[in-house]
Amino acid sequence: MIELKNVTKRYESLTAVDDVSFSVKSGECFALLGPNGAGKTTIVKMLLDFIRPTSGDLSLNGIPSTQAECRQSIGYLAENHHIPANLSGWQYLLRCAELLDLSPPEAMEQCRRIVETIGMQGREHAKTGTYSKGMVQRFGLGAALMGDPKLLILDEPTGGLDPIGIRELRLLLESLKGQGMTIFLNSHLLSEVEKICDTAAIINRGRLLVKDAISDIVKEGDTLEAVFVRLVKG
Amino acid sequence: METSKALAPIKKIIKYTLVDEMRQKSFVVMFVICAICVFLIRGCYQGNYMVNGQALDAATIVRTLSKVTFHIIAAGVMVIAALLSMRIFRNDRNEGMQSCILSKPIARWQYITGKVIGLWVLSVLFMFILHSIVFLITSINLKVFMPEYLVASLLCSINLLFVIVAVLLLSLQMSDIVAFLCVLGVGIVGFVADGIAAASHSQMVQSMVQQSAASPQSELTWWKIVYYFWPKLLGVQQLASTLIEREAFHGFGSIYPLINILLYCLILGALLFKRFGNEDIV
Repeated sequence: MIELKNVTKRYESLTAVDDVSFSVKSGECFALLGPNGAGKTTIVKMLLDFIRPTSGDLSLNGIPSTQAECRQSIGYLAENHHIPANLSGWQYLLRCAELLDLSPPEAMEQCRRIVETIGMQGREHAKTGTYSKGMVQRFGLGAALMGDPKLLILDEPTGGLDPIGIRELRLLLESLKGQGMTIFLNSHLLSEVEKICDTAAIINRGRLLVKDAISDIVKEGDTLEAVFVRLVKG
Repeated sequence: METSKALAPIKKIIKYTLVDEMRQKSFVVMFVICAICVFLIRGCYQGNYMVNGQALDAATIVRTLSKVTFHIIAAGVMVIAALLSMRIFRNDRNEGMQSCILSKPIARWQYITGKVIGLWVLSVLFMFILHSIVFLITSINLKVFMPEYLVASLLCSINLLFVIVAVLLLSLQMSDIVAFLCVLGVGIVGFVADGIAAASHSQMVQSMVQQSAASPQSELTWWKIVYYFWPKLLGVQQLASTLIEREAFHGFGSIYPLINILLYCLILGALLFKRFGNEDIV
């Protein structure tokens, strides 16, 4: 589903991503872990063709990431998601549905279902300027779920969410995983990652340290947090 | 089938650009102020004008004043188009619409095309409505019917396309306000240069030059080359105003400004697509 081959991204003297290669299979729930500035968001942005790699190839469903068609069935939630303040959450979701070419009745139906899924009933018609950060994040997640994507790319999805929101997100991701959706998760919340994801990759200073099944990375009696700290601190 | 598939997202981006801009309070205020100013010009038509001690007839007053108003509106809307364009990328970036759109199966060229056409349609409508007010005033109040006034307005829309593409391109390279000022500077220099050139071709100035018999004019100087290649925004306006005056075109020289601006639009447009293609979406 996702493939990175010898991907490098340099910003003048800084190497943000250094010769990274890995793949994520269809139906897999994958976590990309790393400390701040490790290059996680850069990888996500290269997958979406927001940033072009200095060298290497990225593909989604066998289609190079530079081609718009590869984003046909992708849902994306950005870190620090933003929504135009002059729109309501409902209007924002409708726009996302329109951009995916959904028919008006289908778009309305999906918006209704998504508002329920993200727990924002009753607030969907308020202007987003009145929303809290967590509420904006919820609508961002809703937008990512629009059109029933096959691949969900979530960059720090728990940012701004309260503990109840985090728990609801985990339950939602577990349910989506159960439906066979491929999930690419960028997160700092290692305890949540350990509960949801099947595989993980840890990167530091742009270099891939490990990519394996979580059960193989975390041995018995160990925790993902302990492994993460050990690998990152060398 | 393929074409309609490619056009569908462009149409949506055009719609969002129009709706988002028209929802802005600053846009509405700007439009209302401009419309009121154009309405106020109505009073000028009722005055008595004397030239060399002779009173001008009503038809001459209407045509001359309408032509002046035409130029003022066309130039003013160019400034407004530049103001609207300079913040379009920044707003889309800050409000998350750029990443929202480009994370869907929409190519960057479709996004840019939608934005440029959306802004262009908005600016052309803005200018056309203001010109239509003048047209209605002259038609209803003064009984002088000038349909060519509206055709001239549409001809001037090419200037708006130039301004939009130039500001969008420059706003990717520098801060928004600097991009706006640069394009404004290009416009002002072009207007002043065209004004000087027009004055130098007048009989009065030519006779003064002959009398003084100063240094003979060189055939082709560097500033002449710069002058001919400089964006001919005023030239396009003058070409459009010849329609109002019902004057005949005088060969290639008359349509050169139009070709000049069209070429600039094509070149700057190509650079805009190329530049945005390499832009990091943050």
